[in-house]
Amino acid sequence: MTGGLQRVASTVLLVVVSFMLTALILWVSGYRVGTVLSGIIQGSITATGAATSTIRWTIPLLLIGLGVVIGFRAGFFNIGGQGQFYVGACSALVVSLGWREGPVPLVIMCGMIAAILAGMAWSLLPGYLRVQFGTDEVLTTLMMSFIGALVLQYLTAGPLRNPSGTGQTAASERIPEAFRITDSSGVSVTALLLVGGVAVLVWLLLERTRFGLTMTLVGRNPTMARWQGIDVRRVGLGTFALSGALSGLAGAVELHGPGARLVTGFSPEVGFTAVVVALVGMLSVWGTVVAAVFFGGLQSAILFLPIVTDLPPPALVLLHGMVAFLVTIKFRAVRRRRAGLAAKPVAG
Amino acid sequence: MEQVLATTLRSAAPLVLVAMAGVFAFRAGIFHLGLEGLMISGAFTTVAIGDATGSVGLGILAAIGVCMTLSAVYWWVIGPLGANVIIAGLGLTSIGLGGTAFALGAIFDIRGSMFTDVVLPRPVRGATSGPGVIISEHSILVWITPLIVLVAWIVLRRSRFGLRLAAVGEYPFAARSAGVNPSIVRLQALLISGALCALGGAELSVGTLRNFTENMTNGRGFIAFVAVIFGAWHPIGAALAGLFFGFADAIGIQSQINITERVPREFVLMIPFVLTIFAVWLGGLWRRRTLEAEAGYAELREPDY
Repeated sequence: MTGGLQRVASTVLLVVVSFMLTALILWVSGYRVGTVLSGIIQGSITATGAATSTIRWTIPLLLIGLGVVIGFRAGFFNIGGQGQFYVGACSALVVSLGWREGPVPLVIMCGMIAAILAGMAWSLLPGYLRVQFGTDEVLTTLMMSFIGALVLQYLTAGPLRNPSGTGQTAASERIPEAFRITDSSGVSVTALLLVGGVAVLVWLLLERTRFGLTMTLVGRNPTMARWQGIDVRRVGLGTFALSGALSGLAGAVELHGPGARLVTGFSPEVGFTAVVVALVGMLSVWGTVVAAVFFGGLQSAILFLPIVTDLPPPALVLLHGMVAFLVTIKFRAVRRRRAGLAAKPVAG
Repeated sequence: MEQVLATTLRSAAPLVLVAMAGVFAFRAGIFHLGLEGLMISGAFTTVAIGDATGSVGLGILAAIGVCMTLSAVYWWVIGPLGANVIIAGLGLTSIGLGGTAFALGAIFDIRGSMFTDVVLPRPVRGATSGPGVIISEHSILVWITPLIVLVAWIVLRRSRFGLRLAAVGEYPFAARSAGVNPSIVRLQALLISGALCALGGAELSVGTLRNFTENMTNGRGFIAFVAVIFGAWHPIGAALAGLFFGFADAIGIQSQINITERVPREFVLMIPFVLTIFAVWLGGLWRRRTLEAEAGYAELREPDY
């Protein structure tokens, strides 16, 4: 497993480099890096409620990140997690608001199923176009993501708007308290069991089932997979469906958990951060869990930081960008080039 | 109606400029999702330097410098270092969006918007009614934009560089055989692309408005990219697509137009995205093109884990 070890080492190195570059930018801008660092540790672990908040932000990142892992493993670049997350949350909201008198467990379950179906639909359209017509999924999932954000904006500003709301940004009505699986901290035994169960299921699916193996084969070499009699189209559709389902579920957990209502453009970065999480997790389930906790901690810390330093919150977006910018660098490509063997043309 | 057309031109100009940037990158086989990040960096630098020096020209020059530098780094990361084009591009976008908002707070101690006195010159002004409104009050960059489109077209179609770019994008192996270094050509394309993004950002911040606002590009970089695809990566096509998206934006803005009373604004704003999905799907061309540009795109298909 030296190859695996090398991958871990290079990923960790690239993440560290991204952090150091960001720290350098902060230092040049006149922030004391030590203060910021201790603020991050306080805001993600040691301060009151910080650990809870870390877990609260880990949950959506983990769910969407696992969806990204599934897609990327099979070689499909589903980068529309944000939109799938939004339509999932919207569907769950419609269920909860439309069936206020329903029995609590049933309504929550229906909300989650609705969210899963919506996320699936949002992802299956690009997926279908991809496997049927070869339409590039990077572009279509991105477009669907923007459309999903506009759907949320439309619903929260229009039909589902809370008429008594006074805030600057449009928000929906709150769902009844009984329909929430957590309080506003976003963490509860139910939520943790749900998310942990999903992670274990995804692990089982990827590592212990025929479908998971097939997916990986398709991702590695679709042509060979086809020759071996694998129905690449079916695998592709299944991958997109699962990937979207997880993002949709994340939306429902957000609504039934810490959110309780939807605000235009809430958690705007979570879809992209989940891609970063999956890549830093090296597209493995447990790696993604670790990365999700790590980035969840950063998200939690950035909300805490104003207490200790006046660091502007967009610094976190900058950091995420830096990690994404660098994390896919391939040292092998560099070495090959150094060795003068770069016969295969590379991008750039 | 005149007002809508005038707004269309103003909304379209930054889109068209950035779409030209996307065309150059796309022709080199690079699926450039960092346009948004470059555009906002351009907008910010123009306002920051323009305000500090009191000269809009210096501001734009600085913006071009910043965006070209970022483009060169992007080239280095996706080329020699072999990073994934899509992911690094999205990373560049986040660096731009996060970095400019961070700098606004860190350097100027401002959250939200920064206002400035510098503004691009407006050659024709003063019309308040009639057809004159359509051409009045536009910044110089709006006037130059068609010229840039024309030049881009001529460069891509007629120049030696344009031919090399086409070769590199479509068949790098052949380009290499002919003694062209694809890597260098891609760098040149990305540098041009960076400069155009800077102009697009400048038009956004000091053309129509006089401020820089966090996240003011608001997805325009992506819409410009969409215009590239929609316009079949041809400069004229992309410019027309940009113009059309500008029009969609304008009727979204103009609330007095009856249509928005029946159709919510969000649905008008969805038009570019929905159309693009259709365009990409119907134009089976796209697939062929990605196959052609596979070299600049190959890493994508082999997620290496």
